Amino acid sequence: MKTFAWFCIALAMTLVLITAPAQAAKAFKIGIVDCYSGPPAAYTNDVRDAFKLEVDKINAAGGILGRKVEVLTRDSKFKVDIGLSAAKELIYRENVDILMGTINSALALAISDMCRKEKVPFFVTFSKSAKITGAKGHRYVFSITENTALAGKAGAQGLAKRPYKKYWIAGDDYEYGHAIADGVWNNLQKIKPGVELLGQSWWKVGEPDFTPYITAILSAKPDAVIVATGGRDCVPFLKAAKATGFNERIPFFMHTATELSTLKPLGLNAPEGVIGTSNYFFYYPETAANKHFVKNFEAVYNRKPAVGAVYGFLAARYIFGAYQKAGVIDTEKFIDNVEGMWVDSPVGKVTMRAYDHQAMLPMFMGVTQKAAGYDFLIAKDIVTIPGEDVMPTIEEIKKARMK
Amino acid sequence: MEFAANITLAALLQQVLVGLSRTTILFIVASGLSLVLGVLRIPNVAHGSLYMIGAFCTYTVATLFGQSTLGFWLALIIAPLIVALISFIVERGLFCHLYEREHLMLLLFTFSFTLVFGDLVKLVWGSDYRSLTPPAFLMGFITISDLPFPKYNLFLLVVGPLVAAGLWFLTQKTKIGKIARAAAVDREMVGAIGINVNLVFAAVFVIGCYLAGLGGALVAPTQNITQGMDHAIIIEAFLIVIIGGLGNIWGALLGALIFGLTDSIGILVWPQFAIVFPYVAVVLVLLFRPKGLLKSTW
Repeated sequence: MKTFAWFCIALAMTLVLITAPAQAAKAFKIGIVDCYSGPPAAYTNDVRDAFKLEVDKINAAGGILGRKVEVLTRDSKFKVDIGLSAAKELIYRENVDILMGTINSALALAISDMCRKEKVPFFVTFSKSAKITGAKGHRYVFSITENTALAGKAGAQGLAKRPYKKYWIAGDDYEYGHAIADGVWNNLQKIKPGVELLGQSWWKVGEPDFTPYITAILSAKPDAVIVATGGRDCVPFLKAAKATGFNERIPFFMHTATELSTLKPLGLNAPEGVIGTSNYFFYYPETAANKHFVKNFEAVYNRKPAVGAVYGFLAARYIFGAYQKAGVIDTEKFIDNVEGMWVDSPVGKVTMRAYDHQAMLPMFMGVTQKAAGYDFLIAKDIVTIPGEDVMPTIEEIKKARMK
Repeated sequence: MEFAANITLAALLQQVLVGLSRTTILFIVASGLSLVLGVLRIPNVAHGSLYMIGAFCTYTVATLFGQSTLGFWLALIIAPLIVALISFIVERGLFCHLYEREHLMLLLFTFSFTLVFGDLVKLVWGSDYRSLTPPAFLMGFITISDLPFPKYNLFLLVVGPLVAAGLWFLTQKTKIGKIARAAAVDREMVGAIGINVNLVFAAVFVIGCYLAGLGGALVAPTQNITQGMDHAIIIEAFLIVIIGGLGNIWGALLGALIFGLTDSIGILVWPQFAIVFPYVAVVLVLLFRPKGLLKSTW
């Protein structure tokens, strides 16, 4: 009996000795797969940097449930195969607890599918595809960024208030361009029957010169133009708009026109009066929370945060908050807690809708203008469209998932 | 929506002018590529990278002078020279040892340079978008029959013929041009009569790359200066060189005209499917003249 008691004590001690340091040493791993080379890096760097800033704070306060958070980043080079193998490596070899990324929609959907099978939570940080939380949504995927459905609805609401009737659609001939154009146009037709589509022009991604497209649109004389272009094509399009005086002749809406990454390189020579929408500006909303966020970000990185920084911030807050509430490191309990959870952010309270795992971010519609104290144009006359108003209804999501 | 809905004479004229200004850039880049291809027999895939470096250098030089008019002119002179210097180092250091290798080797070798130059640009300039404004006197637009035409495009319409005339003078009237043309036809024979072919090759390579840099410098104020602009231009430049006739500079001019004009007129005629027009033109040319429109030096 005595031997048995000693044996039990010895066994218990051994277990303590083995597991205690192991648990303390085992970090909570978060993997990020995103494109950090080429043009998309202008957007993705801010997500990563703001995320790391929050993770540093979480680690300083003791980590997630006592475990130190470790962030592993991988460059997808905007390629689906490279990104997918990086995601595989992170899941199988590094055993990451959570995966994040990516700006490439095709890759985001591919990783999302893998995460569904492997039961690893995946936070989509920049892809604008509405399919992620729409038709292809599932329990393990979350989106903390706006998408083409949300931006389309926001754009349509803003445009419906303006007196334009005859429209022209012009954009990037790939999924993002068509999705955002359809989003705006379909919603606009619903809100304001009687709008008329004069014609469309579609160009290839990376189109070097927009002047011929603009002059062709001008000769059709529409009331307004929906410009469905994104990423690196925004800057040259705005440049050509300025060079041809397009913005002075015909008003146009371009979803990301007011974003810092688009307007900053153009300096004071960006066209004025362009209507754009964005989830965030470092100068708006003018709240203490946002000012504090900008100050912290600038102190570390020596630049103003662009919209991606808010996505990075939100990811960190959702992950940390949900695990605090769950109390244990358990994926299923974590997901239950993220659903319907809200976090405070530079743009106010942001709720993660339980049904489709889409963060309900407000959208800010503004018009480009010169402003004192800035050596680039900023968005003025900003109208806030609350997250609830731009979200697709749950019925719409259900319908999309049925297909 | 409809096919050919908005065609008026004014709009057509406008598209032709815009197309011609695009032709200028395409011709400058493609003629450099064609020159190197014709004389040195190097399919220089890195030509697009040099164009990109030219644009980035233009940005840096012009920004040093506060993007002023003086800065713009200096950048237009200095940036292509920097590109020429880089190409001179690369040619003397590496390419000159490889002329005897087969084309596939050279193709792979220049391809490796696209990767090296791409990373170099990322290291030096980072991944942010850059934008350069045209000098004050070239900002804005003039109005031609109620349609705006950017002044900078007008400037390109002046530069294009000047570069073409310069190239004509260089290849037809100067000694080095004559030797280069001879070397393109029969390099052994040129060597046999006691001319240092290597030196001629170096000069031609540097001139070809200078043109890539010049194209990059000229295009800088009209677009986004970013990584990836190398890939976009190199495909178009190769297509132009192929339809024009490999190694023939005037073929490059003809090819650039076809490419630039079908593009801009296609946009007016059928905006929804405008992307395909220049490529359809390329296919048609290759169907009827598989070796290119003008005599190839290959």
